Amino acid sequence: MLHPFRYLAPQSAQELAAMLADHASDGKILAGGTDLIPNIRNGVFKPSVVIDVKKLPDASSLRLGADGLSLGPAVTVNDILRSKDARERYPVLCACAHELASHQVRNRATVAGNVVNASPCSDMAPALLCLDAVAVIGSGTGQRELPFREFFTGVKKTALKPGEWLDRIVVPASSAGARGSYLKLKRIAGHDLGIVGVLFVRLGGSLRFGVSSAAPTPVLVDTVTAKDGPDQAAATVLGSVSPISDVRGTKEYRQHMIGVFVRRLLAEVK
Amino acid sequence: MKITLTVNGDRYERECAEHHTLLRFIRETLGLTGTKEGCGMGECGACTVIMNGRAVNSCMVLAAEADGAVIQTIEGEAKGPTLSDIQASFERNHAVQCGFCTPGMVMSVKELLASDPHPSVDAIKEAVEGNFCRCTGYTQIVEAVTELTGTGAKGGLDHV
Ligand SMILES: Cc1cc2nc3c(=O)[nH]c(=O)nc-3n(C[C@H](O)[C@H](O)[C@H](O)COP(=O)(O)OP(=O)(O)OC[C@H]3O[C@@H](n4cnc5c(N)ncnc54)[C@H](O)[C@@H]3O)c2cc1C
Ligand code: FES
Ligand code: FES
Repeated sequence: MLHPFRYLAPQSAQELAAMLADHASDGKILAGGTDLIPNIRNGVFKPSVVIDVKKLPDASSLRLGADGLSLGPAVTVNDILRSKDARERYPVLCACAHELASHQVRNRATVAGNVVNASPCSDMAPALLCLDAVAVIGSGTGQRELPFREFFTGVKKTALKPGEWLDRIVVPASSAGARGSYLKLKRIAGHDLGIVGVLFVRLGGSLRFGVSSAAPTPVLVDTVTAKDGPDQAAATVLGSVSPISDVRGTKEYRQHMIGVFVRRLLAEVK
Repeated sequence: MKITLTVNGDRYERECAEHHTLLRFIRETLGLTGTKEGCGMGECGACTVIMNGRAVNSCMVLAAEADGAVIQTIEGEAKGPTLSDIQASFERNHAVQCGFCTPGMVMSVKELLASDPHPSVDAIKEAVEGNFCRCTGYTQIVEAVTELTGTGAKGGLDHV
């Protein structure tokens, strides 16, 4: 059961900014609710006001423009998978989207909520990091842009300041056509949070690895070069992460599987 | 707050508490108890309903968010004593044991068939990946769908 709270649905950025100012300590933004509602139920959060961002103008807009693919704060993970533009130009985004949760959860879960939640095991973060995506951050005083490389600051912590929200995600046109594959180790064949996940992307001549569930934040590794052999690549990736032991797997298992995935991905994505 | 929504073709205008989930609203306010609560947190799929054409976990949707929505639940399937095609195929294929997962399973399958009338076995499995059946009747559940759509041979699902 959920404790009593109020539900607000701002229709404009100004309204949202005012609500966030009024409820700096007791308000929580609601997107798909697939993190927030279970967290309220489990007593992790006890907001007195829940502020739904899905009624903002253009919240559900998924648009391909000159600057790239732009995702509003209500764009769901399945919206990505259903988008012809995303499938054709940003297959890496779809590879990660497909591994996130179950079909029903993906019908509600937003990409924005996934990254603001900033879980180490976020499945969309590796794709946004490897594709040089940018967070367009809204506030009462205007917008600012921040590359996702600088967005994640700790376990469940982001660079968003009080009163700010994630207004849009832009995956740049320069990343269109990047090829890649995402390997996610899970306890069961169906949907599950990852034990570890490794995304490998070839973007032009650059090699990138995005690693989930292996450090306090999702990690981008862009220091592997085309000259490196598989063992060197695995060592470089492992040197950039700091996996821990928890209920889903041990540190040693995670380290071993990251090496296995790096070698497998280098052979698979040509 | 007051919300207006359409459930199984009927329009309802009702008061709802702002912190109530759609699941609780459907079961307690509308009295449609076919939709079940298992985990209450997105894991099991027992609460699956179709909202504006998409299968969703109603335990993670607020009733307030469903203002203006078109909802389908298991109660909309049978017409009097006549089961819907999906229900009848579940029955013929022994895809129901205790039945707790069935309302959610049927809703997930219904969303799938609306967009893909001839799904592959992989597509069927993906559609129900968020629906747990603890009587472990997955083979029969997939067979119930393939029999209906003619996209798989009964008994040929050794890889399920
Ligand atoms: C059964 C289950 C399985 C799951 N499996 C996975 C998985 O495999 N991989 C994975 O990565 N995740 C998984 N998740 C977690 C979750 O589904 C995702 O993180 C999802 O993308 C969250 O998006 P949402 O729209 O539901 O966020 P919400 O729950 O609405 O919000 C999440 C957080 O972000 C804040 N927020 C949301 N939008 C904004 C915004 N625009 N600006 C500022 N703050 C905002 C909210 O206040 C909240 O704190 C799973 C969840 C469940 C219930
Ligand atoms: S009750 Fe909603 S998913 Fe289990
Ligand atoms: S029939 Fe019992 S849980 Fe599926």
